Amino acid sequence: MKFPALKIPSTPAELIPPIRAWTGPLTEELVRSPGGFGLGQIPDRVTPDDTTTMVCGFCSTGCGLNVHLKDGQAINLSADATYPVNLGMACPKGWEALTPLSAPDRGTTPLVRRRRGGPLESCDWESAMVLFCEEFKALKAKHGPESVAFLSTGQITTEEMAFLGCLFKIGMGFIHCDSNTRQCMATAHVAYKQSFGFDAPPYTYADFEESDVLVFIGSNPCIAHPIMWQRVMRNPHSPEILVVDPRATETAMAATQHYAIQPKSDLTLLYGLAHLLIEMDAVRREFIEAHTTGFEEFAEFVRAFSPRHVSAAAGISEERLRHFAQTIADGKRVSFWWTMGVNQGHESTRTAQAIINLALMTGSIGRPGTGANSITGQCNAMGSRIFANITSLLGAHDANDDADRAKIAGILGIDESAIPREPSMAYDEIVRGIAEGKIKGLWVIATNSSHSWIHQSEFNALLERLDFLVVQDLYSTTETAQRADLFLPAAGWGEKEGTLINSERRIGLIKKIRRAPGQALSDFHICQLIAHYWGCAAQFARWTSPEAAFALLKEVSRNQPNDMTGIRDYHHIDAEGGIQWPLPEASLSRATHSIEHGQEHDCENRISTERRLFEDGRFFTPDGRARFLFDEPRAMPEPPDDEYPFILLTGRGTSSQWHTNTRTGKSDVLRKLYPAHCYVEIHPTDARRLGIRPNSPVQLASRRAKIRAAAFVTPTVQPGQIFVPMHYREVNTLTFPAFDPHSRQPAYKACAVSVAAL
Amino acid sequence: MTEVNLIDRLLAEQGALTAVARFARRHEEGGLPAQARYYEDLIPLTRPAPGQQYAFAVDLDACTGCKACVSACHSLNGLDEHETWRDVGLLVGERGGGPYLQTVTTACHHCVDPACLEGCPVMAYDKDAETGIVRHLDDQCIGCQYCTLKCPYGVPKYSERLGIVRKCDMCHDRLAVGEAPACVQACPHEAIAIRLVDVAEVSAAATPGTRLVPGAFDSSYTKPTTVYHSRKAPPDAAHAACAYKLQLEHAHWPLLIMLVATQAATGLFAAAFATGIASPGQFHNAGFPLVAAAFALLNGGLFAAVFHLGRPLGAWRFFLGLRTSWMSREILAFSLMATIAAPAVGAAFLFPGSPLASGLAGATALLGVVAVLTSAMIYIDTRRTFWSPVESFGRFYGATLVLGAAAAAVVLGLAGQSAGMRAALAIAVAIRAIIFGWEYASHRLALKDRNAATHLSALTISALLPWLFPSRIALFVVATLGSLVAIFGAPQFAPAWAALAFATTAASQILERYTFFTAVRAPHMPGGI
Repeated sequence: MKFPALKIPSTPAELIPPIRAWTGPLTEELVRSPGGFGLGQIPDRVTPDDTTTMVCGFCSTGCGLNVHLKDGQAINLSADATYPVNLGMACPKGWEALTPLSAPDRGTTPLVRRRRGGPLESCDWESAMVLFCEEFKALKAKHGPESVAFLSTGQITTEEMAFLGCLFKIGMGFIHCDSNTRQCMATAHVAYKQSFGFDAPPYTYADFEESDVLVFIGSNPCIAHPIMWQRVMRNPHSPEILVVDPRATETAMAATQHYAIQPKSDLTLLYGLAHLLIEMDAVRREFIEAHTTGFEEFAEFVRAFSPRHVSAAAGISEERLRHFAQTIADGKRVSFWWTMGVNQGHESTRTAQAIINLALMTGSIGRPGTGANSITGQCNAMGSRIFANITSLLGAHDANDDADRAKIAGILGIDESAIPREPSMAYDEIVRGIAEGKIKGLWVIATNSSHSWIHQSEFNALLERLDFLVVQDLYSTTETAQRADLFLPAAGWGEKEGTLINSERRIGLIKKIRRAPGQALSDFHICQLIAHYWGCAAQFARWTSPEAAFALLKEVSRNQPNDMTGIRDYHHIDAEGGIQWPLPEASLSRATHSIEHGQEHDCENRISTERRLFEDGRFFTPDGRARFLFDEPRAMPEPPDDEYPFILLTGRGTSSQWHTNTRTGKSDVLRKLYPAHCYVEIHPTDARRLGIRPNSPVQLASRRAKIRAAAFVTPTVQPGQIFVPMHYREVNTLTFPAFDPHSRQPAYKACAVSVAAL
Repeated sequence: MTEVNLIDRLLAEQGALTAVARFARRHEEGGLPAQARYYEDLIPLTRPAPGQQYAFAVDLDACTGCKACVSACHSLNGLDEHETWRDVGLLVGERGGGPYLQTVTTACHHCVDPACLEGCPVMAYDKDAETGIVRHLDDQCIGCQYCTLKCPYGVPKYSERLGIVRKCDMCHDRLAVGEAPACVQACPHEAIAIRLVDVAEVSAAATPGTRLVPGAFDSSYTKPTTVYHSRKAPPDAAHAACAYKLQLEHAHWPLLIMLVATQAATGLFAAAFATGIASPGQFHNAGFPLVAAAFALLNGGLFAAVFHLGRPLGAWRFFLGLRTSWMSREILAFSLMATIAAPAVGAAFLFPGSPLASGLAGATALLGVVAVLTSAMIYIDTRRTFWSPVESFGRFYGATLVLGAAAAAVVLGLAGQSAGMRAALAIAVAIRAIIFGWEYASHRLALKDRNAATHLSALTISALLPWLFPSRIALFVVATLGSLVAIFGAPQFAPAWAALAFATTAASQILERYTFFTAVRAPHMPGGI
């Protein structure tokens, strides 16, 4: 019950309350007035005194968000009306981007666990840094430079990733590190690198609008990348939209053709399509001859993939298979798009390359509305892929190439010999290293491995074997942070400056519009502190600020495919609404001119701000030709059998969930928009047979674990298959640890399970 | 530089907000909002003509479930952290052997006959004469939450913080200056628009059996104006993804206590009247205790009801809703009953056994019967199946009779009227058996019959309140046995047994009313998984 505060009436009229109260303090709570700054009406209680634009920090779409400021601090935000990526729109995560920053479980001081099994206790930065350096130095002294590893993220800024990678390998002298981009984009990275000579997604978002045929493979942009789907919906050409997915996803429902293939038959299907396209002579011979190598071998290879064979393997009729190929053949501007359904497979690199092969053989690349296009996952997976100094030397250089070593050492102002030549182990190899006792210390930055890593219970058991586990995160409550010996509180998106690179290679800016809570520090500042306490600060004297680091990275990119030396500074990025790489210095005057020109004419502005690669047909391989790469398909690693007769599919649940829900779980609004508890999609036929009623509890079991979920009986999955969203902690106790041999990416998308009513 | 200095310097640097100082912003001042370019075609060019109103128009083919509308509405309207005015649900089914999935964005339907407005006791709702927008007057609201029961789409939401209900106002002030509502501004696929609809056409089209989308409430009730259109009609068997989700609704404890207590009071006034009529001389020493107990229960119940209101100080405006709201009528009926109950107590005290005392007790009981009718009508008028006339009248008048008789038995026993006590106990035993037998049997039947109107309520009880009927059976057995012992056993312990019978009966009735509130299926637009 609420009783209003007593107010002494000053006039007799006030003594008589109105019969109907049209105004008053409660009504005023929601009154809207013109907010200024081109915003339209805004609630009075969050009227801004300024606004600024920055990119979102969830996914790789890289939307521009218009942050409403009061006294320099963010009080609200809306989608930016003019940013070229999102054209005034945002998904629920973007709209709620500020909320997770205010969560009560933010880390506000470093925390230390003085004994295993004991509580995490607050400590100051000084003792945290001393402990950090003592422990890791002791391990290095005792077990060598291969004994400590880090697992980082695609969620921090490019400058921070670069600093972290250089600090760890060059400053601290360790070898092994990887990031959670291994779980999402490693496949696309390797596939592009091998096929194109550089990790270079060729497209720009305008291609969504310019295609007449769009083929989505293992991709559900309707909920995973809603703002990219916005661009598809803006396509004026009434395009054919083809979706290849075992499950009838939201995107499949919105498509014009859905091919519900058997799980893990994608590689066979793609080879079968290549077979048919050759058979119907729908290949662009002149493009193949001028710009590619290996087509003849590929053509010979796919002869074995007859429609009959492919039809049997994929569970698609020969007639539909031919229709699929015919649709591609008839298309004038065909674009191919893939996401995690491809990347998270046991033969994912070849699958991605099979998509690339289709684009190459049909000449569907380098022209508007075409391309073999990987839709990236995390907001800065693209920054990680080039600048994390993990798999390659900073900026996609070669740590064993003397010229590259000299170039990087010169830019960073370090001794060339400090750059290790040894390759880093991949994520799964680091995990195996812990099992084998080689890795004794682990530093986890902005990722929640205890939830997200495949075969989760084994991973969590292995963490117990570590001598020292450091977790650096916004929240001390993540499943991984709860296991840490030392927790370092990080400032998040919106509490620091830096750049993120989105799916279409657009470098976007994030700004400092909130104060980090307590003593939380940006990852950049934490790196500065560690460099100091480790005693290697001299090597990082040039890393004085994120923008200074960006200047270094610009130099690093010089003469690389991702050359961004034409970007002047952060202000330049801010003024242009993000800038796609490449933008070499030499092109600056031309680009600037076209951009300025474009501001007067909206349609031309889009052309200048949306650029695609390979328009001249030259790729980044030494001979300038793209490669046809292929391999014999292999059976899925854990096929269903009598004991575990179902195939478990995992994937995105809703647009309001992000990965392990570390941030999305902090927003009441986002939580309202996704189911609170784990559920499983199961086909009505299977449900009937097993006596499973709608919404009743079921047990899912794999060889590794048993979990409980509520049944969602729906024909969106095929008989014999079930789907569980990946966001619920228990799901990855079921998944089977298989990895693509080229990209080392985990195959989250298929394992054998049993289902039983409870 | 010392080590401490570096930490302090970095912490200071971290604390400095730099966005404003470092990045100039080119503001587009004056003219249309920057977002206007995207929504110009999604709002009407003109204000509604007479006979027209604004309505949401949803293109289902363009709604793909991104839910941006929900969070944009939240952020651009300054709602509380957990508060949302829009929702996105999911329809599922099979079509041609394959799946059918359709996300459905929904907010207030700004109905032609808004049930919220009709049910509001204080006229805190207003349907704007020009625009047809159903606005909620936040400062008029007393937080009775009846609109949250009346709206068949689950639109009005109660705010604990404010003690009032709030709801979608179609951003009426934005529309007034040519801006689009927040949801319209924010949909990446232009799935939501504002259109002008002809009120007479909406009314004519809302014939019984029509629904906005599968799973939505019958449109003939409130005549919702939202237009959902799609090139592909949903399959017949399409249903909401949440159709089988079981959940307990709010128990509304103050209301629950109020209903049980006022019904017991009505029964007791009737018992006082009955004993007075049966034999004025014999029962004159029982008249006052009976009426006094009834008076205490009545006022206790009404006092409890105050705690249900978020802002009780505005409740004096209850008369504003008398024309349409059963809530207003209930407040009036109980006010009259309480008014006449006081002299009834006085008469029973001053003139025990007099015709005046009996007559006032009888008049109060009669007003009580009418008041219980208004109580039941409050729930019946929501058109929820679990609150049908049979269910509501049966339970409410059943409680009136059984509690009245059981309570009267205790009072009569304490007053040494053993014959009267036994008669009351016998009546209570019979009524208790009839109403509990009926409640239990109808629960079992509804549980078995998947097509029963109250099947899902029965499922909710058996799945989420599995202890409920076993407890009530135990209470029933104790109450019945206690009554029989009081009737046939040693007279000196009879009042104690009668008291036990009353206590267990009251407990059973409280559980019954708890079920009544929590196991009801609240109609709403299709929800999610």
